[in-house]
Amino acid sequence: MNLKDQSRSPGLLSTTALATVERAINTALRSDPTSAERLAIHAGRLIAIEATLPPVAIYGLIVEDGVELYHRSDATPDVAVKGSPMDLASLLLNWKTRPGMIGGPVDISGNRDFLQELQQIANDLQIDWGAILEPITGSELAQQLDYSARRLFGWAKQAASRLTEQLGDYVGNESGLIPHRRDVYEFGQDVDELRMDVDRLDARIQRLRSRSTSSSPSSPQDSGSSPH
Amino acid sequence: MSDDNKVTHFGYQQVPWQEKQQKVAGVFRSVAGKYDVMNDLISMGSHRILKRMTIELAGIRPGHKVLDLAGGTGDLAIKFSRLVGETGQVVLADINDAMLDVGRDRLFDAGCSHNTQVTQVNGECLPFEDNSFHCITIAFGLRNITDKDAALRSMLRVLKPGGRLLVLEFSTPTNKHLAKAYDAYSFAVWPKLGKLIVNDPDSYQYLAESIRMHPDQDTLQGMMDNAGFARTEYFNMIGGIVALHRGFKF
Repeated sequence: MNLKDQSRSPGLLSTTALATVERAINTALRSDPTSAERLAIHAGRLIAIEATLPPVAIYGLIVEDGVELYHRSDATPDVAVKGSPMDLASLLLNWKTRPGMIGGPVDISGNRDFLQELQQIANDLQIDWGAILEPITGSELAQQLDYSARRLFGWAKQAASRLTEQLGDYVGNESGLIPHRRDVYEFGQDVDELRMDVDRLDARIQRLRSRSTSSSPSSPQDSGSSPH
Repeated sequence: MSDDNKVTHFGYQQVPWQEKQQKVAGVFRSVAGKYDVMNDLISMGSHRILKRMTIELAGIRPGHKVLDLAGGTGDLAIKFSRLVGETGQVVLADINDAMLDVGRDRLFDAGCSHNTQVTQVNGECLPFEDNSFHCITIAFGLRNITDKDAALRSMLRVLKPGGRLLVLEFSTPTNKHLAKAYDAYSFAVWPKLGKLIVNDPDSYQYLAESIRMHPDQDTLQGMMDNAGFARTEYFNMIGGIVALHRGFKF
């Protein structure tokens, strides 16, 4: 193997990023024992999450004390979901997209009950910031920080939700950058109708041509007087 | 040359062939208790990422049988135990009893005792049947084995056809500036950390020296080829400071 082939090596940065996400999820689970217990029931199961653009695959193995994330796996996943990052986030994290906005489909194969349970756990996950911060800050400050963090995250969640709605309104209605789902559907119907009209017109022209050919007098070429 | 007169390297020292094993054992007995802490310190945490990358290339599936050779404190074995599931098996093997004691405790604490075995073995002559394992990993261990060729042949023998060997090991930086910085860091800092954390600067002096005596990427790939591995390749990590070699048995 030469130096050029090193591009095939596993990415240090992407592996580090994945490790960081895994650590964040497991820290959150440790601070919410109820969700951790619900998840641990599924220990040994594998979920494959494949984003189409950019093309990234993540495999999540449920283990007794949380999850382990990998970029690749040779094992057959219990459930596999495939779609755009936004659609996947919408499915897995219950991010609300604006009704009527164009949303691509998410392909799901495998155990849908398992996926549904994972979605439910992700929704119910309550991060106890106090428990995470207590070893560093002490209990009193941790409680205050937990309270502040909950308010902050509550506000952030509401703000994100409002932003999504407003963004949806803006790009969908005001800016005209993205067509409304209904408009696309109607446009599709119009195109179909036009195509069928053209087909009908074409058939009519063909019929008229053949009729005019059969009713017109025979030309010299048609009389079979060709020297050949 | 008879075995009695053969010499090998122990760091920069030349020692009788038979003595290296005992000397290496002394190093690891000395550091076993704080091995993971020291690894985190000297690698600045990067060894965990490198091991993750090894796992990603291991292709482990449920039901597989995996040998984690020179597995020490069980970092990889714990992950493998979860990947092979109830129907698979992981063997944590090391020549050093002190390291295995730590590894056994960690496997037990991680809830992995149901599908793991802990075995004291010499990597040069593995006590397993032919064609036993789907995958063998040896992370930061091959460097310490006296007869690396014999160890590679032994690993090939116990691998199942289609199985793979992954060797994660310190190697040779590909950039001369990085190599200089790395030399300065490892020779100046590691022995001091060793003194500070485990009161044993010599073991970490040995570590820095042994890395320089270890075959470079291409040489190790050639050794794997000579041992009979197929489709051998390597992946440089952190500019070649560490390399992951992979080879298959067909």
